Amino acid sequence: MLYLGTAPSEISPILKTKALCALAGALLVAGKASAEPPAEKIDLKQFPAETVNEVVVPVPSEVFAVLEKLGNPNWRAELGPAKTFPATADRAQDALLLGTVIADGFIAVEAEDSERVKDIGRNVLTLAEAINVRKSVVARSNSIVEKADARKWDAVRREFDGALQDVNQAMAELNDEQLAQLVSLGGWLRGTEALTSIVDSKYSTQRAELLHQPLLVDYFSRQLSKMSPRLRGKEIVGDIRRSLDRINPLIEKNNGDIRPEAVAEIHTITSEVVGRIRSKAG
Amino acid sequence: MRPLSLPSRRAAVCAAAFLVCGAAVLHAYVDDAMSFAYEAANPYAEKGWIIREDAWGGDLGEGDKKAVTAQLFRGNSYIFFLGTDVEGAKLRVNIYDTAGNLAESKSWQEGKFAYAEIKPGATGTYYVVVEVLSSPEERTGWALVYGFRR
Repeated sequence: MLYLGTAPSEISPILKTKALCALAGALLVAGKASAEPPAEKIDLKQFPAETVNEVVVPVPSEVFAVLEKLGNPNWRAELGPAKTFPATADRAQDALLLGTVIADGFIAVEAEDSERVKDIGRNVLTLAEAINVRKSVVARSNSIVEKADARKWDAVRREFDGALQDVNQAMAELNDEQLAQLVSLGGWLRGTEALTSIVDSKYSTQRAELLHQPLLVDYFSRQLSKMSPRLRGKEIVGDIRRSLDRINPLIEKNNGDIRPEAVAEIHTITSEVVGRIRSKAG
Repeated sequence: MRPLSLPSRRAAVCAAAFLVCGAAVLHAYVDDAMSFAYEAANPYAEKGWIIREDAWGGDLGEGDKKAVTAQLFRGNSYIFFLGTDVEGAKLRVNIYDTAGNLAESKSWQEGKFAYAEIKPGATGTYYVVVEVLSSPEERTGWALVYGFRR
């Protein structure tokens, strides 16, 4: 051992004690930090409900990425004919509509259809204006158009994801979190409509497993049940609650073994409800 | 614990400064923690991982844990990035399946960052458990982001 400066014998007993305490503390911290390896099994019941209530809602491109690997989906067919959705006079409806349009954006990116992506980027802005969050998504909308022109698809995916987060944040700042939840829900419904269409067109258990999303169905159901009486009283919100109640048993079954009939039924349910969301918009 | 949005974080922190002191402090250090979480994720974005814009954060005492639930899809790979702004704090992140079994392929820590990577064996619900192993502070701000690879 190399000593620099004062020799150990010259250190006062108090300093020695302090140094030993510091070393012991450091070892304790280091011991804890490198500690035991993570538990191989945990009891999830140990976590109080409030610690597990936060849910990571995936973006459509997470599930679309897997679909792409499992085959060659016809994304253009999923997009359908080009259509712009104008705002309605109902902010809840517009929030849901915005979610479906953002999901369309993810589909258009998979289809690598830059014109559709640009149209959708502009439509996002129109609908954002209707729910008072235009300012928050202007930059995103411009960036979507610019990156679609450059065919930078991963960058466009990030911009649509960012648009969703910006809308959520802006609505939270306006104390409109419930409308933000409707945006997410609209996106999930439209994404699931496209997913079930693709799985239904070429069924495999691996593709169908992508629908095993009980966490999300439960999460959205809980969000709807906690909404204000004014929002819960809206016909479209009631329709969606009933739709989620119908979807829930279909996707919970058999640990993800979702049969072709169930896929078709989920598709029917989500198509109907997305149709209703969009019906007032023209 | 609350979802956070990266682009608006400065605005959120500024706004929080006008609110009660405790809330302002929480915003500030979660905000800083989020910068570290994104710093941990940046090298992976350059390697082709798609880093989500959404983030989650809060603060924990030493030895405390929190779980965030996530819907993961078989066929993708995921990395969760955990960051803190507290110098000398050690955090850990691990991923468990619905039965409570450790499901990650690997997890590791580097200074203010902790990581957990998973290639899900099945599509479904997973629990991302965040833990403060040690910290010089009473409360340690943390933020979690994740990325996936196609």
